Amino acid sequence: MKRVNFYYSTKLTFDDYVHDHSFALRIIPPETDTQKIIFCGLNISPYVSTQQTADAFGNNVTSGYLKGDHRFLDFEIKGSAETDSSRHRTDYMPCYLYQSQYTQPDESLKAFYNEIKGRCTGTVSDRAESFCDILSDTIEYCKCVTDTSTTAAQAFALKKGVCQDFSHILISLLRMDGIAARYIAGLAFCDGETHSWVEYWTGDHWEGIDPANNCPVSDDYLVISQGRDFRDCAIDRGVMFGKYTRQLQLVRSVLT
Amino acid sequence: MIQQTQFTKTVGNAAEINELLRRYGVKFGIYKNGVFNEQFFPFDPIPRVITAEDFASMEKGLIQRVDALNEFLFDIYHDKKIVKDGIIPEDFIYISKGYLAECEGITPKNKIYSHISGIDLVQAKDGEWYILEDNLRIPSGASYPLIARELTRIAAPLAFAENEIVDNRGYAQLLKETMEHSNCGGIRAILTPGRYNAAYFEHSYLAEHTGSVLVQNDELFVEDNVLYHRTYSGGKTRIGVLYRRIADEYLDPLTFLPESLIGIPNLMEAYRSGNVGIINAPGNGVADDKGIYYFVPKMIKYYLGEEPILKNAPTYLPFYTEDMKYVMDNLEKLVIKDVAEAGGYGVVFGSELSKEKLEEFRKTIIAEPRRFIAQEVIDFLDLPILENGDGMGDTQTVMRKADLRAFVLSGEKTRVWASGLTRFSRNPASFVVNSSQGGGFKDTWVLKQVNSEQ
Repeated sequence: MKRVNFYYSTKLTFDDYVHDHSFALRIIPPETDTQKIIFCGLNISPYVSTQQTADAFGNNVTSGYLKGDHRFLDFEIKGSAETDSSRHRTDYMPCYLYQSQYTQPDESLKAFYNEIKGRCTGTVSDRAESFCDILSDTIEYCKCVTDTSTTAAQAFALKKGVCQDFSHILISLLRMDGIAARYIAGLAFCDGETHSWVEYWTGDHWEGIDPANNCPVSDDYLVISQGRDFRDCAIDRGVMFGKYTRQLQLVRSVLT
Repeated sequence: MIQQTQFTKTVGNAAEINELLRRYGVKFGIYKNGVFNEQFFPFDPIPRVITAEDFASMEKGLIQRVDALNEFLFDIYHDKKIVKDGIIPEDFIYISKGYLAECEGITPKNKIYSHISGIDLVQAKDGEWYILEDNLRIPSGASYPLIARELTRIAAPLAFAENEIVDNRGYAQLLKETMEHSNCGGIRAILTPGRYNAAYFEHSYLAEHTGSVLVQNDELFVEDNVLYHRTYSGGKTRIGVLYRRIADEYLDPLTFLPESLIGIPNLMEAYRSGNVGIINAPGNGVADDKGIYYFVPKMIKYYLGEEPILKNAPTYLPFYTEDMKYVMDNLEKLVIKDVAEAGGYGVVFGSELSKEKLEEFRKTIIAEPRRFIAQEVIDFLDLPILENGDGMGDTQTVMRKADLRAFVLSGEKTRVWASGLTRFSRNPASFVVNSSQGGGFKDTWVLKQVNSEQ
C-alpha cells in the first residue's frame, strides 16, 4: 500500500472564439478495490456548471456545456490516493474478450500472433508476460511517429510507438489468444505525461501489466479510466463551434 | 376471403391516388454511388386484405415476440442470464455490430427498449405467416400506408363505405401515447438528420401528426444533463422524449463516433441520468441482428415460458457444425443473408449463382461462418398488382411477391397497429421487396369482425 499525490492539468487554447462547447472529461480517478481516493479536487475555467455520471466501464464522467464565447478551456485535478496493487479488482465485462476499434488486428498482426503463440504458453499470466517480453523486443518506444488515432495494426506496421500503441498491440494479442484484456489510462511514476497500460483477466481477477516498460503494475500506478481501448478512455472529448482553425493543448501530470 | 371485385373503387382511381401522392410529396430518397435521388414510392391500389381472425392471431404472436425481445434487451445490458444459461452463445452477442458496450447498465424508463418495432412477415401459400426479420432500431414506413389511406379515402370514398375496414388513422395517436409513456418531463421531439435523409417525408409527417417538434441536432443542446430545444427568442424548452431517426453511432459524438456531425453532444449522459427518453433505445441493434433472429423463438420460451405463436422462416446458422453441413449441401436452394447488411443488401439466392460463384461463396461462408445465416426460400403467396396503375400505359393485373411490415408499439401495453406496410417487388423474378431495391407499396386492410363473418 502506498499514499500517492496526483496532479493533472490540460490547457486548451483556441486561436479564435468558440461557443456552444460541450465536453465530457474522464479525469477523476475511480474509487476501486486497488485504489482509495483520499481527496480529489477538480477546477475548470472559465467557470461552468458540471454534472457527474459513471459510464458503462466504471469511469467517472464530468460533463459540461459552455454556451458563450471563450478562447480557452483549462481543467486540472489535484488529489491524493492510497494504491494497493496486492489487492484485486473483479469488475469483469464480456466485451473485453472481443477486439474493438483500435485493437482489430490486420493480416500482418494476425500472422505475428500465429508466429509467436507457440512461445507463449502456460498460465494466463505466463502467456501475458511472454507476449509482453516479445513485444518489447519487437516494438521500439518512440515518440512522434504515432498519435492518438493510431490503431494497433498501424503501430505494429511501424514497429514503433508510445505507451498507447504498446497497450493496443498487447490487448490485440491477448484477445486473439482468448484472454480478456482492457485498456487503462492513468498516471505513473517517472512519466511526465499520462500513461497507459493493460489489465488482463486471469479467470477470476484483473492483473495489471505495463507493456511500454515491460513490467508488472505496482503501487506507483494510478488508474484514471479504463475501457476496451483508447476511445473509451480519452481524458477529454469535446465538440465546439467557431471559426477557430487550431487548438493548442498543453498537458502536465505529476504523481508523487 | 373478400372478393376482388370489391376493390374496383380503389383500382379505378389508381391514377388519381398516385397523382395525389405525388402532389403531397410522398417520397423516399436513395443514395446510389454517393448521389442522392428522391423517388416516388410507387403505390398499388389493390390493398392487401387481412381477415379479423387472421389478424387476431398475428396480433397475439407479434405482441409475444416484441415482449420477449424487450426482455432480451434488458437482460443483455444487465445480467446476461440468457448467455449464462447457455441459450445464446456469447459470440453472437458481442460480435454483433448492434451491441453497444457503452449502453451497459443503462435502464430506460419502464424498461422499454423497442418502442416501435417493425416486424417483417410473409404469408406462405398455405396461409401460414412467417417472421422474416425484426427491425428494432429505426423501422420506417408507417407513414406510407397512413397517407395512402388518407388519399384513397379522398379519391375513392365508396370503397370505405362498402367495406368494413378497421380505420388505421389511429397510428399517430398510438405513437403519441407510446412517446408519452417514455417521456421524462418535457416536450416531444422527432430528431431528423435532415432534408437529405431517405425517410425525411416520414419524419415531418409523423411530427405533424403527433404534435411533436421536428428538430435537427443544431437546435438541441444538453446542459446539466438535460436535453433542451433552442427557442427562437434565445430561450430553451426542455425535451422529455426524443424519437430519433438517426442511427446509434451518430447519436452522441462524445460517446460514439467522434466525427458525427448530426448528433447531440452529451445526449447519452442526459439519457443515462434518466432526464430524457430515447425512442428506440440505443443498443437495440443487438436484438435485430440477423444472427440473433435465429434465437428469438428460444427467447420467447426462455423469458415468457410460452410457445412461439408465429414461426421463424426455417433458418440455419453455419456457426453450428450440423447447420454448416446442411448449408454446404443445399446452398443452391437456400437464401443467404449477410448479418451486417440491411435494406435488402447482402441477400443472395443460391439458385441465382453459377457453379463457380457457388463454390466461391461456400469458401466465404466457411471462412466467416458467423457472418451469414441461411434460410429456406419460403414459397410465399403472390399478391395481385395493377401494372401501370399510375396511368402511364395499359393496366393489367399481375402477381408479385410481397411482404408485410407490421408495426408493434410498446407503451403502457404492447399494441399492434391494425394496418401495416405491404411492400411488393415490381420485378416478377425477385423476392426482394425493399423500397431501396425499387419495390412499391400497398395499403393493408384489416377487416372488422362483422365483415369476415359474412
